[in-house]
Amino acid sequence: MTRDSRPWLVRAFLLVLLVAAAVAFPKVFTNPAVTNYGVLALIFVTVASAWNIFSGNSGYISLGHAVFFGSGAYAMGIAARDWNVQGTTVFALLPLAAVVGAVIAVVFGLIALRVRRHTFIVITIAVFFIFQLAAFNLRSLTGGSAGLNSPFLNWPSSGYNTPFYYIALAFAGATIAIAVAVRRSRFGLQLRAIRDDEDRARGLGVRAMRVKLTAFVLSGAITAMIGSIWFYYINQVEPQTGFDPLFDLLVVLMAFLGGYGSITGPVLGALIIEPGTLWLNTQPQFSGGYLSEILLGAVFLVIVLFVPRGIVPTGGEWITRLRTRGRPAVVPVAAGAATAGSAGGAAAASAASPAGATADAPPASRASKGGAR
Amino acid sequence: MRPAIPWLSTKALALSAIAVVAAGGLAACTSSSSSTSSGAPSSSSSAPSSAAGGGAPITIGASLSLTGDFSADGQAFQKGYNLWAKDVNAKGGILGRQVKITVLNDASNPTQAVTNYQTLINTDHVDLTFGPFSSLITGPSSAVAARAGYALIEGAGGAPSVFNTPQNQADHNVFDVSLPIADELVPFVNYIASLPAAQRPKTAAYPMADDPFADPPVQLAQSKLEALGVKTVYSKIFPAEVAAYTPAADQVAGKAPDLVVLGSTDVPTVGAFMQAFEQQHYVPKMFIAAAGPDQGADFTKAVGAGNATGVMVPNGWYPSYANPDSQAMVKEYVAQYGGTASDVNADVAEAYAVGQIAAQAITATGGTDNGKIITYLHQATSLTSVQGPVKFDSLGGNTAAAAFIFQWQKGGTYSQVLPLGSPGSVSILATKPAWTK
Amino acid sequence: MARELIHAIVDGILTGGVYALMAVGLTLIFGVLDIINIAQGVLVILGAYLSYSLSTRAHIDLFTGLLITIPVMFIIGVVIHWAFIRRLRGTERTSMTLLVTYAVALIIEGILYKAYGADDVQLQASYTTSSVHIFGFYLPWIFIYGFIVAVCLVVALYLLLYRTRLGRSVRATMQDENAARLVGIEVNRVAALTFGIGVAVTAVGGMFFGATNAFNPNSGYDLISRLLAIIILGGLGSIGGALAASVFMLTLESVVTIWQPTWAIAVFYAALVLVLLIRPTGFLGRKAVRAQ
Repeated sequence: MTRDSRPWLVRAFLLVLLVAAAVAFPKVFTNPAVTNYGVLALIFVTVASAWNIFSGNSGYISLGHAVFFGSGAYAMGIAARDWNVQGTTVFALLPLAAVVGAVIAVVFGLIALRVRRHTFIVITIAVFFIFQLAAFNLRSLTGGSAGLNSPFLNWPSSGYNTPFYYIALAFAGATIAIAVAVRRSRFGLQLRAIRDDEDRARGLGVRAMRVKLTAFVLSGAITAMIGSIWFYYINQVEPQTGFDPLFDLLVVLMAFLGGYGSITGPVLGALIIEPGTLWLNTQPQFSGGYLSEILLGAVFLVIVLFVPRGIVPTGGEWITRLRTRGRPAVVPVAAGAATAGSAGGAAAASAASPAGATADAPPASRASKGGAR
Repeated sequence: MRPAIPWLSTKALALSAIAVVAAGGLAACTSSSSSTSSGAPSSSSSAPSSAAGGGAPITIGASLSLTGDFSADGQAFQKGYNLWAKDVNAKGGILGRQVKITVLNDASNPTQAVTNYQTLINTDHVDLTFGPFSSLITGPSSAVAARAGYALIEGAGGAPSVFNTPQNQADHNVFDVSLPIADELVPFVNYIASLPAAQRPKTAAYPMADDPFADPPVQLAQSKLEALGVKTVYSKIFPAEVAAYTPAADQVAGKAPDLVVLGSTDVPTVGAFMQAFEQQHYVPKMFIAAAGPDQGADFTKAVGAGNATGVMVPNGWYPSYANPDSQAMVKEYVAQYGGTASDVNADVAEAYAVGQIAAQAITATGGTDNGKIITYLHQATSLTSVQGPVKFDSLGGNTAAAAFIFQWQKGGTYSQVLPLGSPGSVSILATKPAWTK
Repeated sequence: MARELIHAIVDGILTGGVYALMAVGLTLIFGVLDIINIAQGVLVILGAYLSYSLSTRAHIDLFTGLLITIPVMFIIGVVIHWAFIRRLRGTERTSMTLLVTYAVALIIEGILYKAYGADDVQLQASYTTSSVHIFGFYLPWIFIYGFIVAVCLVVALYLLLYRTRLGRSVRATMQDENAARLVGIEVNRVAALTFGIGVAVTAVGGMFFGATNAFNPNSGYDLISRLLAIIILGGLGSIGGALAASVFMLTLESVVTIWQPTWAIAVFYAALVLVLLIRPTGFLGRKAVRAQ
């Protein structure tokens, strides 16, 4: 295969280059207004990747990941308040946020993962609202509608964002590494088997509940930790900002925009959407408000309609097509797999991976069965 | 050959590289999108000093919620800021410098507000920052301003949670020119106390929207009225969303108390309660709401001018307030946006007052050095605004603001009625008339 | 106490009618097309604004105005389906519709901001504040009308689905799209009509919502999660289920409000989770709604 002939050194070199660019970013752009975009983008890279570890692999779309995000923020806020933790020591509370996220994920998952996919989406919304209302109502614990303030962090403006940037970068990197590890493992294979056909996977001996729950807990713990980082960065959390329904939609949007189920897709989606929407609102010519909304909606529409499987799979296909121009032996395979798998974003994502077209044949055929529905 | 990293294809990496380049482009774009500064890279983020003399305009930045949950108030605030800037510029500016105000939309989202203030301060290098709308957005925004050494002068973040942030306790940079909310119902309580026992309401209900802004004054009023012997028949917090209003209002109507003190946040809350009361044929003898009836024509349009009669609201300002600045502002407003004086929303005055306080601070300190402005504002004793006198305590609350109670009266007039006999007040309509269109 | 309880229950049942008017369209669309229409909440608000314009500008009565707003909303629905939804295919279609309809919601919201501003408005007529005195309770006319219209609409949609050719096509498509195609049903046309009808009924829902609540362009988001919960509880695609679930939800909320207003909605969502654990297809859902 032409695609596999490319030496792995090139790939490693590109990867090192990307990491170097990410590390150098705050050194090149020292303006805090710019590093702020970096911090927030990386927070969402982490969230979208964590979401994808569960939802992208298993096919269960969670619209309730704000439950973990907000719970992590509140866990850190409550612990810092009650135990009087100050300054940089607050970061030592991160494992606590992870534990809180994991425990919530176990209970949440045991309830929600018993139902099939459409119902799962709505159950996650319901659980999400229960958590938001709890944050409103458990006043003595959460501060009610006034929310919680973060402890004071005595860093100057010029040096405030950069440490947060590197913390968020570390989280993003670790989450992507975990996502890769999951994808390559037997566990990841079982998850994707569940996504393709849960009954058949069960029949083949996959312990579906245990596998789904493990992924959910992993995803929830990571999301809770990055939620607590967000809280410390923003300095405050309220029920409607920690548990924000638009957050859930945004994360799904990021994953789908980039390419649902792939590793790089959600990363790319987060890197485009979060800074993009923030930047749009900082432009005074859009200060009327409605214009930025219409523009945002229009961009989403164009992307979903013309790049329906996400940027990574579609882009990969374009590149393949360009590279293999004039070599008809390959083109039909790639194009064939792509059309057969039509909107199977995940199937196409694995088609874009160099594992080879042969490995993709079964998911592609299943996708076509589903596609005719 | 088997690739070493099969999960990251070259193509995906290439795409990521493209994205990084694009992100870099965006970053560069952001760095240089400044409209006023020379575009020099900003390594220092200390507040700009007043070194630039003479003709350079004074740039002011604010983030407001032009869309989302707080959009109605956010847009009214924008009118107030713009009106003030226009008036100041028409009079030749401050210290001979014109004022240029930039308002960015935070979509009622604190993450966006943080981004906006970082952009205004570090990229646009504005001289001063004005506050956003709502206590929820003000906290994170003030932290950004504090770190950069900026004062945050605001007019609508008066909940205790705004002043008590660890950041503000360290930096003392928040200044709220409006009335602190906790005490705003005290004149009403005093009025009840002044009545002969037989004329006082016997029973009272205290429904409160779940909001940091709405509850503290109502809770204070409840404890004081209970001490006066007014029996509490209902005191509950309900969720601050429209679907929850009618069931709560029906509950209150079922108890038929003499007095209803509503912890409301906006016109829809009050409108829903009044609609339910009317449907239930229940007329409270006295009805006072924490917020909503102060919104001029927006309120009367929503509930009907006849129904509004007798409804009371606490506030620090009203359109016919006998203050020359205020009257000039109202005239300006009507000239610019149309309507009548009673259409002017209290948000407009709050925003306008923010500008006035800033102007006095700039004039007094001879420039826009934020350090000097913060020190000055904490010391100044004779600040004035369209909302009356202003004096800040150590956390930036306005201690000089007097609480007034206003009432909609017959013929759709909105008048100050309490404290009794205070300048400009008219006699109170002691009993609310029956519902009528 | 007993009186309070009865009042709360009656209130809940009547308000449930208004919610059913907003939910039937969503359940029809979700049930037939497998589309999670996030824009439904904003479309309700759009319907309310159309009624608002007709009543304030042209002084057309709210009910008469429905003769205009229903066809307008139907056309908007068909256009949305034709332009955006029709193009989505494949296994991730349901999830992709989340994004498309969210984008549509953003655009409509932006247009509403431009057209009407951010101030809250409410629909007004003589019957929005008047009530009738029965058995010692005041029952607001607007809620009574809403409930009657909801029941009529459910019956009408039921007849449409079970007594007409179109209905047979819709139900066939719902059960097995491939088989429907094989027997000569124009699946795309059926889908467009269904989407149009689902959006058209929001004109009615929007009018009643706007007459009982203040709204602004942003109000749709609060609605959509409630509506989704209602249609899941009622069973996807079940029109009678949507009515039953609306009444159940609003009654529960209204009753819990007597004691704890802030927990009322949480109790509803908790009930939803419980019901689904026992009966994953909801109240009146078909067995195994989807093979998936």
